[in-house]
Amino acid sequence: MNTLIRDLVNGIWKENPIFRIVLGMCSTLAITTEAKNAIGMGTAVTFVLVCSNILISALRKVIPDKVRLACYIVIVATFVTIVDLVMAGFFFQLHKAMGIFIPLIVVNCIILGRAEAFANKNPVLNSMMDGIGMGIGYTLALLTVGSIRELLGNGSLFGLPLLGSRYIPFLLAILPPGAFIVLGLLLGLMNKVNQRLA
Amino acid sequence: MRDILELVVVLGIICVVAAFSLAKVYDITKDPIARQERLARLQTVNAVLPPHDNEPDRNTVQIPLDTANDTKGKDADAKADTKAGKKTVLVYKALQGGQVTGVAFEMSATGYGGDIGVMMGLAPDGTVKGIEITSMSETPGLGAKVTTPSFKQQFQGKSLQNTRFNVKKDGGDFDQISGATISPRAVVKAVREGLEFYQKHKEAIIQ
Repeated sequence: MNTLIRDLVNGIWKENPIFRIVLGMCSTLAITTEAKNAIGMGTAVTFVLVCSNILISALRKVIPDKVRLACYIVIVATFVTIVDLVMAGFFFQLHKAMGIFIPLIVVNCIILGRAEAFANKNPVLNSMMDGIGMGIGYTLALLTVGSIRELLGNGSLFGLPLLGSRYIPFLLAILPPGAFIVLGLLLGLMNKVNQRLA
Repeated sequence: MRDILELVVVLGIICVVAAFSLAKVYDITKDPIARQERLARLQTVNAVLPPHDNEPDRNTVQIPLDTANDTKGKDADAKADTKAGKKTVLVYKALQGGQVTGVAFEMSATGYGGDIGVMMGLAPDGTVKGIEITSMSETPGLGAKVTTPSFKQQFQGKSLQNTRFNVKKDGGDFDQISGATISPRAVVKAVREGLEFYQKHKEAIIQ
């Protein structure tokens, strides 16, 4: 029981995939122009991560070492395609906003990284917890970056105009360079906080 | 030998299972996806058309788009012909009591960040009823403002006869957006070309 909670919490702060392991940067930088996108992308990645972690962990004794990467990729790609189709069918607007980044989850390093580093050495339940934790950590990180960028660059949060019409949007924040700047500052902040804690 | 066989069998089984589950999911989501796509399309079409009592996507007509220009030389003409050989425009018709009250079709022009797609609705006499931006990748906060209602509303009631189809900077009648002239220019160009296209093929479209 104890190990389950440890594995769950691990991904949220100590090994946060974005701020600590710094994986999956491509989609993080690209889709965080709005807080809403962060939720959609986070949910999709969490689903794929949990499913692939469970399946890979369950099959860890069956899959031969030599073809393990090929097997992982097939499994991950299958779940990603499922998410892609389901989103297109039932969350059309969100799917349109995500565009190419849903199919690209296949090559998101977080997922293959967790399969390699965790799921193929740990029991099914622990792997599931790891997937949930990593997914939550990823979603929270996207949400933080996305909220800051949307608030600065558009004066709104989740599409609601918070800062009023007198606010002059700081456009750079929603342009690509803004993604790097905001992410960099947050990474620095996290490092500082961690130093204090240690 | 046994090793290799094991590799092949395990990877093979995983692939087969993956293929079957994907086929199943595709089957389940096929109809909802088609429905959503049609709904989204219909929504933009309805937004630019005058009131009607039919389903515009069931009353359509394909018109070939001729990009060949009269002022160009013969060679250019031939080239444009082969290039635009298969290009057609799908025209949606709005009917009320069997009468055509408007038509809608999609045009595109190159903006700052790629092509901008414009769905435009016209009254039968060739006046713009409304436009919607269907696709674009302009700069957020600058060029992307072509999607705002205040920009799109400028086009209402405009026709080739009563309006100069250029942005103000180029001596026309349309407001550009401060900091972004290329995107509005592209939208205006798309609408102008759409109107010219309609003028040329009016008979074929209406009947």
